[in-house]
Amino acid sequence: MTALAALLLAGVAVTYAALAKDQPVTARSGPVGEGPRIQVLTNGRLSTVSRSDPGGPREVTELRCDRAYTAAGTVACLKPVGPLSSTGLVVLDSSLHERRSLPLTGFPNRLRVSATGRMVAWTLFIDGHSYATTGFSTVAGILDTRTGRLVKSLEDFAITVDGRPYRNPDVNFWGVTFTGDDNRFYATLSTDGRRHLVEGDFAAKTVRTLRENVECPSLSPDGTRIAYKSAVDADPGKGWRLSVLDLASLRITALAETRSVDDQAAWLDDRTVAYALQTGDGTNNTWSVPADGTGAPSLLVPDANSPAPSETPADG
Amino acid sequence: MFRRKALTAASMAVAVGGTAVFTAATLSGGVANAATATFTPVADTYVDNGNTSTNYGTSGQLGVDNSPVKRAFLRFTVAGISGPISTVKLRVHTDNVSGAASGNGGTFKGVSNTTWSETGTTWNNQPSIDGATLGTLGSVAQNAWYEIDVTSYVTGNGTYSIGVTSSSSDGADYDSRESGASTAPQLVVTTDAGPTPTATSSPTPTPTATSGDPVLVGAGDISNSGSGDSATAALLDNIPGTVFTLGDNVYDNGTASEFNTYYNPTWGRHKARTRPVPGNHDYNTSGATGYYGYFGASAGDPSKGYYSYDVGSNWHVVVLNSNCSAVGGCGASSAQVTWLRADLAASARPCTVAMWHHPRYTSGANHSPDTSVAPIVQALYDNDADLILTGHNHQYERFAPITPSNQLDNARGIRHFVVGSGGASHYGFGTILANSEVRNSDTYGVLKVTLHPNAYSWQFVPEAGKSFTDSGTTACH
Repeated sequence: MTALAALLLAGVAVTYAALAKDQPVTARSGPVGEGPRIQVLTNGRLSTVSRSDPGGPREVTELRCDRAYTAAGTVACLKPVGPLSSTGLVVLDSSLHERRSLPLTGFPNRLRVSATGRMVAWTLFIDGHSYATTGFSTVAGILDTRTGRLVKSLEDFAITVDGRPYRNPDVNFWGVTFTGDDNRFYATLSTDGRRHLVEGDFAAKTVRTLRENVECPSLSPDGTRIAYKSAVDADPGKGWRLSVLDLASLRITALAETRSVDDQAAWLDDRTVAYALQTGDGTNNTWSVPADGTGAPSLLVPDANSPAPSETPADG
Repeated sequence: MFRRKALTAASMAVAVGGTAVFTAATLSGGVANAATATFTPVADTYVDNGNTSTNYGTSGQLGVDNSPVKRAFLRFTVAGISGPISTVKLRVHTDNVSGAASGNGGTFKGVSNTTWSETGTTWNNQPSIDGATLGTLGSVAQNAWYEIDVTSYVTGNGTYSIGVTSSSSDGADYDSRESGASTAPQLVVTTDAGPTPTATSSPTPTPTATSGDPVLVGAGDISNSGSGDSATAALLDNIPGTVFTLGDNVYDNGTASEFNTYYNPTWGRHKARTRPVPGNHDYNTSGATGYYGYFGASAGDPSKGYYSYDVGSNWHVVVLNSNCSAVGGCGASSAQVTWLRADLAASARPCTVAMWHHPRYTSGANHSPDTSVAPIVQALYDNDADLILTGHNHQYERFAPITPSNQLDNARGIRHFVVGSGGASHYGFGTILANSEVRNSDTYGVLKVTLHPNAYSWQFVPEAGKSFTDSGTTACH
């Protein structure tokens, strides 16, 4: 174990050094500097690194989250389940002042903030189990932070499967991603042994299926593509290949990451997606890979998961 | 103050302190049978009170300073040392920039916390530098090696943390492990005799020599239609001793049929020497009748499921039932905890191991730490028990000796293990808890615990074809 860990760590160090060598030395006002940032979790604590030096100094806050995301000055955090407390959603501003909190029941899994910072969507496991066990249940909810409208479960929405109204008590939703109008969204719908990509309408309270075997969608900043995890041979037991679906042509591109990715990827820009992988000793690392199938994965932020691109806070 | 370290391919090492040759090979020329092993840090970082929430764990530098105050932390894992240790030297290399030099190279002290995070440690949450002073460095020049004798601190295989402070406003900057192999800090362990593997040798499971001391061996979360239970049962075939389980003996429902179909052809080969623990899946059959029916008297009273027995001349083994609702609760005044306190008080054995299914502490992503068993842990701590074995999360995790509230306690603390690696498909890890020392989530295996007269040795034995292992020895209280 020790030697194995040392080898893994050495691999991290080498990759880090390779990244670091090409980074220019730039003046900074603070340790993480001005300019674009990446928000991550460092063993469950909300942290920030510089986009231009993601392997460099890291701002580590005392805020504990099992999953986090940020966009346009809205920070969302799913709190860990405590000995005497359930999880909950906390919505904060960019200075981490709490704007809204909401108790929830379940085990945090996915979390997104729409590009405008208005809509927050989350997924929880509700039996405490994950994909590792056979049979699991999820609940996906949405909060409109402008109007305060709360949808505790997408299972209340009218479902259309293959063009027909559909009802089944076994439906599960997970992995919501919003479009730029803060009304339309994409998500995964699982029912009757099939996992569908659905398109939803928040105002109309409807979802309709688009195609199968597209899980944990993540819409690109330009709104044209969805990064997602594609079950190998359509069997989640065989792992997932990180892929990109072009919404206009419906063309699918498998990305260069060949390790199984069980995450909702985050777009760092229109060309790059980031995601986390866990090593056998429980260490999470955040990687990035080009979104067009070229190139190779590279270590973006060691010892980090739940990445989200972020702007410099107003208070610098 | 952050400066990026320029990486150089060639070593600029300057030998100091009379060490002319520095390799991991056996020294020749008059030093008979001496051998050195060199370890680089498994983690290093510094903290800065000018940026109290910033972590520098991936930096190429380790700063020590008194204005702003910077403190450096290093952690080494020493493994594979067999002979007696003669000397241990900590070697640090100053950065090759002009500001790295200082009239004060800092004070080096032991740090009892060995689970601080390289990428999460900041001024705000830094570990306490609470150990003895190991040495101090006076003036340090840039781009040079310096040595501190830490023989008094590093006494054998294990994990060691060192903290560095400076009382000077003229700070010194050392190279961190991220600076590259030629300048990273080193711990050089010299032994008197025998070959010593280097830190980079591949892990080789080395079964404890047959000493006649009794052995407990087992795991939890074992049998289903998959092949993991067959892999771990094959390990038991070659390890004598008492077999324990840690609950969830069969999936999914603890039926008699599942015991006969899944467990009996695998772990059932060792039923005659097995003392089991019931898990939540065993209780999916009302009253766990499948479990009690299969194991019979070995599982204790079916209305309780908790029992104890002695092993060898010095060890007491306590099996608890963490399916609390099935046995009238696990509260401080429950029948089970009342029994436990009386059982421990009545035991004259100096060493105690306890086991049950639901872990009080776990970093697993699927099941949270379970507070309902806290009164059990408290009773064990109050009675100086030595180790706790649990399962439930399908993975392996070892904690340091801790108090009932998970504070490090090397005097009276109990080591907690999660050994949910018996065969059911693995779970991942979530947030890593404090004092979690070793984890693995991709290897089935069993834990072999050798019960010495006044100590215990543990060894994780992996399934065939896997290399993960973990071993160590801790004295009884």
